[in-house]
Amino acid sequence: MTDTREDFINALVDLDEIKCIDILNQRVESKEDPFIIIEDVRKATDIVGQRFEEGRFFVSDLMMAGEILNQIMVILKPVFGESKENKGTVVIGTVEGDVHDIGKNITSALLEAEGFNVIDLGIDQPPEAFIEAIKENKPVIVALSGLLTEATESMKNTVDAIKEAGLRDQIKIIVGGGRTDEETRKYTGADEWSDDATSGVRKFKKLAGVE
Amino acid sequence: MDPAEKYRERLDRLEAVINGKEPDRTPITPMMSIFHAHYAGYTSNDVIYDYAKNKEAALKVAHDFDFDSMIVLTGLEATFMSLTFLHNAPGIVPGARFMQAQFHEVLQDVYTKWPGFELRDDTQPQFIGKEIMSVDEYDLFSKDPADFLNRTALPRVCKALKEPGSPEYNAALAEYGTELAKFGAAQGDLIQSLGQAGVPTFPTAWSYSPLDVISDFLRDIKNIVLDFYRYPDKVKQATEAITPYLIESAKVTGAVPPEVQKALGTEVVECFFPLHLNEYLNPKLYNEFYWPALRKVLEEVIAMGQTPYILFEGRHDAHLETLLDLPKGKVIGVFDKTDPRKVREVLGDHVILSSGPPNSLLIGGTPQKVDDYMKDMLNDCKEGGMMIYPGVDGGISGKAKPENVQAVVEAVKKYGTY
Repeated sequence: MTDTREDFINALVDLDEIKCIDILNQRVESKEDPFIIIEDVRKATDIVGQRFEEGRFFVSDLMMAGEILNQIMVILKPVFGESKENKGTVVIGTVEGDVHDIGKNITSALLEAEGFNVIDLGIDQPPEAFIEAIKENKPVIVALSGLLTEATESMKNTVDAIKEAGLRDQIKIIVGGGRTDEETRKYTGADEWSDDATSGVRKFKKLAGVE
Repeated sequence: MDPAEKYRERLDRLEAVINGKEPDRTPITPMMSIFHAHYAGYTSNDVIYDYAKNKEAALKVAHDFDFDSMIVLTGLEATFMSLTFLHNAPGIVPGARFMQAQFHEVLQDVYTKWPGFELRDDTQPQFIGKEIMSVDEYDLFSKDPADFLNRTALPRVCKALKEPGSPEYNAALAEYGTELAKFGAAQGDLIQSLGQAGVPTFPTAWSYSPLDVISDFLRDIKNIVLDFYRYPDKVKQATEAITPYLIESAKVTGAVPPEVQKALGTEVVECFFPLHLNEYLNPKLYNEFYWPALRKVLEEVIAMGQTPYILFEGRHDAHLETLLDLPKGKVIGVFDKTDPRKVREVLGDHVILSSGPPNSLLIGGTPQKVDDYMKDMLNDCKEGGMMIYPGVDGGISGKAKPENVQAVVEAVKKYGTY
């Protein structure tokens, strides 16, 4: 691997925003294959995730990494045009009655970097909004986010509504948020749960069969 | 046992733990914002907008559940308001400490969302926060926080106060004063009624972690996290500038007249600290930006004779050891996602431990599962005294099943005795 590639990966892992974006701009200007750049982004994201799981990185580190990833994606999008790979579509949103979105936003940034097509519905979304989005976007995974303990009930209502609409068999569902656990998964009838963004992304990959 | 005897028994139990002794059994000290509403057959709107219904619902819970104390909190974080008025109207600080729906209605603050306004009926009110101060304004804030809070921030925080001197502004401030008085009276009545029902409430002083003030009310969590990397010195200056206000706030609100102490039968004054950024920060950031200012406030509050009551929100595992910097046995710690066994392992009885089952168990579990959870936790952690905080992640959820909450009480009676 070239020094530039390593420097780029290290800058992202060290959360050195200015250096990372500088190198990225140089790489784009020199007409480097964007698929190679995105491969490096993923390598760096993997290391960030690893560090989080080892307890070396915390949520603030993930938020900073997410901020840099967002900037990277803005720069890379026009370079890719229509050719960007798609590991599958994810519909994600904060459930009805809850307006928190920090965890959801980090997850979305990581999923985009992983090559998922992310449809982010935003906050306080009723079951109908998820159903509408499933019909329209045919996602492989639907992700229900929420921080309030009350969100558990909304997650369950959303899963139930998806069942009633006859769409449950077509998708996998993951519930996520700082308060979710195995108890939440069982209660809501989801396929997976996560209370942090990086292990969450691993579960998305498993559910989508792209790991 | 009549209510007065129950009151004394519960108070003795709580004071024993606070004084580092083992009580007859572990006290249960829940907090709730809308559980009592649902238990009494009301919606969250009912207890939020009607103080009489709030009291009726709280008393029903106090009657049916054998809690040793009980905090009913229908408001949302508003330390921004109490700090804004701290120097020139210290008397309103306790009332202004939490945003009530009635205040929100007249002030139109941008921080909070309420059922009946921005949210659907019977939902939980939510604090969202907003970026009020731009990066460029750090210096202006640090130079004179009170001036900045009053002149620059307040008109941005409250839509009704956006134009000082306007009829809308004057009317909103006058109505805020009226609503503060009504709330204060209702709150006093609630605490007195709980006391008459045999449930003690300690007088509470109000403070906050200095960096959380900047994060929650001025820069917003999303931005402050980036500021640590981009403008570290500005963040530190602002945190240092606001620190004396948090000490002052505790002093002003924790001065309990002797006759009140006599009527309550206790000299304990708790000082409430909910920690917010702690879970977000890695130890380096925590030790550099967060802990020094908080430690200073805590030490001062302890020196005033108050007992800090700290909600360690989220996972505090990585920062537990910093608590050894404080004098032993002087703070109560409610640990949200940190395993209480881990707290014991790292801190022993350096901090007065409070823990309890998570809301996922109270919502989705069964009384048997709650019993199992409580049995294990009490066996592992109760030695030396502890408190039980059911629904340890934010207080008992409005969706908690009453039979599961009752199972907490029953389990404490079985496994929480000494």
